[in-house]
Amino acid sequence: MIKKNKLSDLFRAYGTIFAGIIIVISFSILRPDAFFTVGNLINITRQISLLVVIALGATLVMCVDEFDLSVGALASLGGVIAAKMAVAGFPIILCFAAPVVICFGIGLANGWIVTRFKVLSFITTLAMSTILGGFTFWFTGGATVFQNIPREFTFAGSKSMLGIPILSIIMLLLTVVFWFVMRHTAFGRKLYAIGGNEAASRVAGINVKKYKNLAFAICAALAALTGVMMASRLGSAHPTGGDGLFLQAYAAAFLGRTVFKEGVPNIWGTFAGAAILGILANGLTILQVPTFMQDLLTGCIIILAVIVQKIGRGDIK
Amino acid sequence: MLLETRQLNKQFGGMYALKDIDFEIAEGEIHGLVGENGAGKSTLIKILTGVYSLDGGEIFWNGERVELHNPRQSRRIGINVIHQDRNLVPAFNGIENIYLGLEYEKKAGFAVDWAKMKKRVEEVVAKLGVEIDLESPAAELTPPQRTLLEIVRAMMTDCRLLILDEPTAALTDREAELLFETIARLQAGGTAILYVTHRMDEVFRLTNRITVFKNGRKVNTVQTADVDKDRIISMMTDNWTSERIDSSGGFGRTMLSVKNIKSRDGIVKDASLEVHAGEILGIFGLGGSGRTELLECIYGYRPKAEGSIVLDGKQIERSSPENSIKNGMVLICEDRRGMALVGSLSVKQNTVLSTIDSYASFGIVNEAREKEDTLKKISSLNIKTEGPDQTVLQLSGGNQQKVVFAKALLSEPKVLLCDEPTQAVDVMTRFEIHKLLRKKAEEGNAVVFVSSDLKEVLEVADNIQIIANGCTRELLGNNGLTAEQVLACCYSD
Repeated sequence: MIKKNKLSDLFRAYGTIFAGIIIVISFSILRPDAFFTVGNLINITRQISLLVVIALGATLVMCVDEFDLSVGALASLGGVIAAKMAVAGFPIILCFAAPVVICFGIGLANGWIVTRFKVLSFITTLAMSTILGGFTFWFTGGATVFQNIPREFTFAGSKSMLGIPILSIIMLLLTVVFWFVMRHTAFGRKLYAIGGNEAASRVAGINVKKYKNLAFAICAALAALTGVMMASRLGSAHPTGGDGLFLQAYAAAFLGRTVFKEGVPNIWGTFAGAAILGILANGLTILQVPTFMQDLLTGCIIILAVIVQKIGRGDIK
Repeated sequence: MLLETRQLNKQFGGMYALKDIDFEIAEGEIHGLVGENGAGKSTLIKILTGVYSLDGGEIFWNGERVELHNPRQSRRIGINVIHQDRNLVPAFNGIENIYLGLEYEKKAGFAVDWAKMKKRVEEVVAKLGVEIDLESPAAELTPPQRTLLEIVRAMMTDCRLLILDEPTAALTDREAELLFETIARLQAGGTAILYVTHRMDEVFRLTNRITVFKNGRKVNTVQTADVDKDRIISMMTDNWTSERIDSSGGFGRTMLSVKNIKSRDGIVKDASLEVHAGEILGIFGLGGSGRTELLECIYGYRPKAEGSIVLDGKQIERSSPENSIKNGMVLICEDRRGMALVGSLSVKQNTVLSTIDSYASFGIVNEAREKEDTLKKISSLNIKTEGPDQTVLQLSGGNQQKVVFAKALLSEPKVLLCDEPTQAVDVMTRFEIHKLLRKKAEEGNAVVFVSSDLKEVLEVADNIQIIANGCTRELLGNNGLTAEQVLACCYSD
């Protein structure tokens, strides 16, 4: 009896992880030849790398109890700037770095508007998203940037090191770095404190505005990097290419909150959330399930995960 | 009698908030209810309006026994309350606000009949003989207009007993006059009024009878004509005299000097005070006097408009919580869960919240040292916890408060601003906190101590600074001081 209780507790606490495992097992049984192969698993890591990186940024902003709805537009802009610069013949390293720095600045602007004028981050970043969308369209003339992109620009997106795609390596490195930052540095602690109780953080002498601004800025920089990675992988940049990642990023981050019992935004949770979404998309594609069914299933799984966690935490009787 | 209560009891966590209350109010009577902070006035209001359930006793309405389980039941029999914090929707206009919680008038069974509703409201307004703007949203009305709006709302249904809780707190004298006229008219119409206030002159001007509460018990009910202010004040206190022996002359240098500060929101109007090394300065004022706001303003949490703050000889130019902590001043907030603790974090992370940077080199936190210091504080403050990693909200109230102190003490403050530091803690912790504050003072620090419990202030403080209406007033040496003397200062105008 006691043992059974413990098992159900475990399931409640880590239901999302169990669900992930069940998904993997189901696909493995259904298509052992195509799904559970080293090649496909490595392929999945590359497929989710963009989602993970953009979702890491969204997670940071969620940690300070705000939202950044402009991550999709930032990714689109980042990719377009990088591709344009590559076409113009700038050194590749600069093509990668410049959009990140520019978007860091845009993120600071997001944060400044939110903290200085106490505008809801929802509204601020929604408006910013619209502004960026308009700007990107003007900047590209609405066309995909793909002609005359040098081959070196696509190395990061297509090549592998020791059999592991470079994009996957970037993703893993960033995940580890941000896990460390959020878990073991004063900076990360302060972000969590602000998200936990802003007033108490202020009373404790934490410069709340500064750290919120930084969270927005880092989030924007990561979104830009995602756009750059996408452009490098595709060898082209579409003015709305990153927009679709925005909802997915938050889906991953919200799934991530459900991974651990505490229910706070966290780096490994977000990684797991993105992985579940990626595995689902990959497996369903292999099973030749139509895209609309994939969307349907993904949405249902997110709602289920959040409900199960709420019940597990005892919020709902 | 319109309303009668017999042997009402209400407990919170084993403590009596109300004990054996026999209370009555007659039709058409204005009945004053007075008592110190925490005497049980609000608890009685909440029981009569169905917010709190009873732990014992009976309520009779027109001689019949009634049970009041929720606010709707109270309203139905004719009890309405108007609170200090008004319950109006700022964006709604007068009619919309008045009809909150009332059944809307309908046309053809479903469409809201605004014209009919307006007519009904205007009838009530006319009956009350007041002038009120029903078209503007509540946010644009003046404070007395909002109070009138609430009175109109109360009178929409057959209101037999109207409870007014500090109705003049936000009003100017002229605005209060308007309210008093309305009250007189209501009384003439037979409505009973329970008037709860700290303001003695209003009680004597308006009421027929006065009931005095003290520590959750009824002291007495008297005819207003038979008593005077001093008599009432002496009934409100235990006439408790401090036993502390004079320690004046024993203090060191001035640690904190605040001159004529004014908060940007105008709640603190003009406050000055001085605390010395070795001194515990008590600040006492009635509810709404600006005690909490004064401390927040000194600390830099609440923006300051004017005035100077000198901390241990150093002028503080830009006051902010960050600067205050850096210069050795901490604030223990009244609102423990809202402003002092991050509930989702552990005991350890809360303890080092203010000092986290001192544990980090190149941004990376030295967790071993952090844990070591937390463990030291756990043992020196005797915090009962499973360990430094336990979530702080799982601790009892008293132990949570000790974590707040642990956090404050880690930054090694020279000045401790304590706002209700013993609120909702057990007796033992309360005693420990008093001892701790005394020890910190004896070590050469300065303590500012705010409590709404006058007896506690008299127990703890060396000197008592009176604050009223956002301004500091008399500074009383706590040497054989009586509660009556302190309260007399607060109530003098």
